[in-house]
Amino acid sequence: MNRDGKTMTTAAAMPNAPVGRQPQHLWKRFRTRHRDAMLAAVILIPMIVFWLLLSGFPTLFGFLLGFFRWVGLADSPAFIGFDNFVHFFKDPVYTGALWRSIWLGGLVTGVTLLSGFGAALLMNMPLKGKGVYRSIWYIPAVTSTVATTQIFNLFLDTNNGVINNFLKSIGKEPIVWQYSVGWGIFWIVVYSVWKGVGGAALLWLAGLQSVDHNLYEAAEVDGAGTWAKLRNVTIPGLKPIATYIFITSLISAIQIYEQVLFITNGGPYGKTEVLVFRIYRDGFWDFNLGMAGASSLVMAAIVIVITVFYYGWATRSDRRTTIPVKTLGRGG
Amino acid sequence: MFAKRFKPSRALGHLVLLGVGLVLLYPLIFMIMAGFFTKQEFTSSVIHAFPVPKEPTLDNFKALLAGSTDAAVTVYFRNSVLRTAYNTFWAILTSFLGGYVFARLRFKGRDQLFLLLLATQMIPTTIAIIPTYLEFARFPFFGGNHVFTGGKGILDTWWVYLIGGPGINIMGTFLVKQSLEKVPIELDEAAKSDGAGTFRLLFQILFPLQLPIMAFIAITTALGTWNDFITPFFYTNSDSLQTLPSAITRLSSVMASPGAVINYPMIITLSLGVTIPALLIFFFFQKYIVQGLANTGIKG
Repeated sequence: MNRDGKTMTTAAAMPNAPVGRQPQHLWKRFRTRHRDAMLAAVILIPMIVFWLLLSGFPTLFGFLLGFFRWVGLADSPAFIGFDNFVHFFKDPVYTGALWRSIWLGGLVTGVTLLSGFGAALLMNMPLKGKGVYRSIWYIPAVTSTVATTQIFNLFLDTNNGVINNFLKSIGKEPIVWQYSVGWGIFWIVVYSVWKGVGGAALLWLAGLQSVDHNLYEAAEVDGAGTWAKLRNVTIPGLKPIATYIFITSLISAIQIYEQVLFITNGGPYGKTEVLVFRIYRDGFWDFNLGMAGASSLVMAAIVIVITVFYYGWATRSDRRTTIPVKTLGRGG
Repeated sequence: MFAKRFKPSRALGHLVLLGVGLVLLYPLIFMIMAGFFTKQEFTSSVIHAFPVPKEPTLDNFKALLAGSTDAAVTVYFRNSVLRTAYNTFWAILTSFLGGYVFARLRFKGRDQLFLLLLATQMIPTTIAIIPTYLEFARFPFFGGNHVFTGGKGILDTWWVYLIGGPGINIMGTFLVKQSLEKVPIELDEAAKSDGAGTFRLLFQILFPLQLPIMAFIAITTALGTWNDFITPFFYTNSDSLQTLPSAITRLSSVMASPGAVINYPMIITLSLGVTIPALLIFFFFQKYIVQGLANTGIKG
């Protein structure tokens, strides 16, 4: 539309162009014809250059890192091909962390989404003040992970923690949470669900409200009860959205590490380490930059494979074409 | 609209939503109650699930206000505010301009470029943490570096916070693009034929129409930056460059030597400082968050 107008002006101006002013005319024609492209360049180039500086280049660099042996910042990197990856899949420290990332991510996703779904069903009822409930449930999501994990640590303190003080007051032995893998995992899951359940409920709620209302009426005419409506209308209607929610949640849950860092710090003996936590440890404590790069690549590969499969499914079934993406505005 | 007669399912709904809701709020309630303790009382008394101080004090809250006695806390607070404002400003600007470019301008390779940018969003951010550290350390001609090495580059300087700002916010661009595509292009043409230049078209006509989505981008960016500990924690070291979250990180068990006593009263003060503003932002703008969350993915 815009372009049609422009082609007309140039076409009209062309035959009358005086020969002597050709260069200026050419520039004018170039300017009108490529006005959009030039404006785009002026806007985009600086933004993309800065993006490359902080995201693009480091990401690419991160991919390359995996193929080098580089221990300690002063070391000079040596190209070793796939050796880091061979080491990754041989060393139980890494395979253990990878496996833990996957099942812990799955566990967190499952618990968060199921409880969020229950909450969304309740929030979808015509209750007075449901907006207030929605806000209350979402509040943990806007708090700082660093700050709230410290409050959890106050509950879990061995000597003067809230839970141990309670156990002592009813005559039970205090528990040293930090010595137990099971409890470590338990509290990581509790924290993650605490933080995620409100967001999950909001997403489910948006999904529930997008289900066609006529279907419910039709089901009611057919005499369906609450349970039958849930099973036959709500759940099938939610399928594409449910897949989207599940995939995005899983992708972020297999990458959790902040709560691991602050609640267990990987302990005891590295038995609660997840892969992204391992990347952080390799990079900033052991300065094993090559292995950190290789682990990042494995994590990236997993995320990309999940995304591509999902994307294929979504396009094939002509449903949703949004690429599952990370949350907005983190850091940088 | 609401049925007068008592419905057990609704009562159960209220009960569960309120009951679990209070459990979810409990850690924050605990944090606020602990904030009324004096340092001595908090470290010396036995902490219960609902800690009630014997001599309540407002000192911890006062320490957060500007011009307080605790100069370090004031610095952390100021840095957090500055970083958040800076990143939010750029997120709004780059998302809006990026959205405009990809929704309205026609040029060769536009869609391919956009897809490429969008595709980079599936790569986990963690991969970039260590390379970013190396890049900052070897930044040419900064911090005593000759070409690539020699000094500490831009590590531990304000550049760490400033450099990323003008970079394009890809998710924001995606959201603005989607939202702009719903605005009829005739509006642009009408504005242009009325003599509005590109600048006016952008900021006086199109921008006001995008306010809800811009608000969502601004709020998520603001909260993300406000709560972010990674950038200050990994790339700076000076006390004068720390933000509230990174200051908490430095006091936490992560950085403490084994067996050291954790300074929980200070952690609680800082935690209040980082949590209360986030809650205020949320309360004032929650309408946009709920709308925006639904916009990011859940649409038929």
